[in-house]
Amino acid sequence: MNILRWWSGLLLAFALVALVRVFLPLPFANEIMIFSIYTIGCNFLLGRVGFISFGQPAYLAVGAYAAAFYFYYFGTNPYVGILIGIAAGIVVSLAVGPMFVRLRSDYFALVNLALAVIIFYLMQKVLANITHGDNGLWFLTNLSPTPVLDLTRPDQFFIFAFLVGFIVWAFYKYLDDSIYGACCLGAKINDDKLRFLGYDNFQIRLLAFVIANTTTALAGAMYAVYLGFVSPEITSPARAADPVVVTILGGVGSLYGPLVGAIAYTGMKDVLSKALGNWELIIGFLLVFIMLAGEKGIWGTLEPLLKNALLRVWAASKPSESEGGSR
Amino acid sequence: MIDIQLLITGVIFGLSLGSIFFLMSIGLSLCFGLMRIISLDQLLYYSAGAYITYSVSLALGDLWLGVFAGMVVGGMAGLVVERVVFKRIYERDITFSMITSFGILIGGVGIIKYFWGLVPRPVPVPIAAQIDIIGTEIPVYRLVVIAVALLVYFGIWLFLNKTIIGKAIRAGIEDVEHVEGLGINVYRLFSVTFIMAGALSALAGGLHAPLIMVDPQMGLEVLAFAFVIVIIGGLGSIKGTLVSSFLVGQVVSIGSLIYAPLAQMAPFAIMLLILQLKPTGLYGSPLLKR
Repeated sequence: MNILRWWSGLLLAFALVALVRVFLPLPFANEIMIFSIYTIGCNFLLGRVGFISFGQPAYLAVGAYAAAFYFYYFGTNPYVGILIGIAAGIVVSLAVGPMFVRLRSDYFALVNLALAVIIFYLMQKVLANITHGDNGLWFLTNLSPTPVLDLTRPDQFFIFAFLVGFIVWAFYKYLDDSIYGACCLGAKINDDKLRFLGYDNFQIRLLAFVIANTTTALAGAMYAVYLGFVSPEITSPARAADPVVVTILGGVGSLYGPLVGAIAYTGMKDVLSKALGNWELIIGFLLVFIMLAGEKGIWGTLEPLLKNALLRVWAASKPSESEGGSR
Repeated sequence: MIDIQLLITGVIFGLSLGSIFFLMSIGLSLCFGLMRIISLDQLLYYSAGAYITYSVSLALGDLWLGVFAGMVVGGMAGLVVERVVFKRIYERDITFSMITSFGILIGGVGIIKYFWGLVPRPVPVPIAAQIDIIGTEIPVYRLVVIAVALLVYFGIWLFLNKTIIGKAIRAGIEDVEHVEGLGINVYRLFSVTFIMAGALSALAGGLHAPLIMVDPQMGLEVLAFAFVIVIIGGLGSIKGTLVSSFLVGQVVSIGSLIYAPLAQMAPFAIMLLILQLKPTGLYGSPLLKR
């Protein structure tokens, strides 16, 4: 019963995402799947560990370029490319992590943004004879079809992205419930007390940093496979705020916030920017408005309401069991 | 070895670039020092200053009038944003102000796009004369920019050390609560600081306009550099900001003589190095409570 309850939220959420796929066009559904995986790393860092990360595009680019190099120069199998992207994410975040997580939250944000700028210039100019600079790497025709789920076809790619998203969400839900998740929250709220309890702040933060950025690198590799090309544009400083905006839009620290935020953000981008043609104006003032209204975001506002409503339904249908629940 | 003439040009260009960087990041540094907020919207006043300079100098034919108009607009915009937005978030966490001001920056870029469109605009250089320094031709305008930055630095120094408001601001950087306890209205100090910061950022934009093309993304392009300068110098320190902006200016300018792509990245490498050695920056104070 408890296991069922643990999975029920996830299943419900992804059933709704599947519903989105039925009613909305395929590119939109693919975009929100990848984008929400991209955002959940930032959400974890901001909501659970207290690190605001303006440098998330750096890790997205690491994953995307690792996969792109593989497709362009070495091989053709999309699954291998995605695994290489993940491996690159782990390597890079382990390399820079020990330097970064020592810093305070505000310096962390600035240094992380600086890393995104460094990678941008690295890909655009310094390594231009490998990355082809602003033209980017095009390898859509290099990808070979795979037997079970053919990632070169957008409709089957969605099924793959959907499954990956489900696994990622289950993993983060597991993290939230585990002792480690509690430690992360402790590191955010009061690290002195956590040290007093015998935990090592540095290791907790480093692990969180690696987990979050590897997830982002995974999203980068998926972008590479899905779009079939990679250019330095994905790590440009102008887009650095995207994941932070989506995190806040959805609701900081809530599990389904990134999903809701990604749907709302991509939807607004598609609809409003076509209608008004001035995207920055809307997103900028929306951000200010959400922050002033209490930084809860869409899901953060909806979640308590939904929970109350569900509890009321639950209590009405099964009055005898409602008191025996584990939580 | 590099040609001596190239080197002199490089140093002067670096100094003028550093002057622009200094004017641009002084607002960021002051706002952090006094109010403990990271005010990314300073970069918006920088772009706005450049655009006002462009429009006014196009209409009236005089760049300096345009720069002055830009400063007035920048100061006013700073005041409005402070009264409407920042007033509500002084008590909040520092990341909070960072996200909010980033929203203002992005929204402001949208407003600029609405009024001036996407096309980059050129601004004519007001002083075409060149001066001869050890056999090298140097544009006088760059020297004027350096002079303006140094004047501003000494102006700020005089203001903070010799006037009563400046002394109150300096005391506020150390400890806001004690200043409040002395019966000084700190919120008025905050407004004064914001007007000053906005005007100086706009001044940076106006002076930079003839040296580059004015385009809507210009604030976002220098955002990373402003960050780097403020971090290297230490958040809240004016002297540190001056030193680190000249340092970064020189690194970008001389570095581009040696190997161009590396010049854009070198400041960030320096920043990472300095943060490892001294996590509060060169002149940053260790205390960070409010």
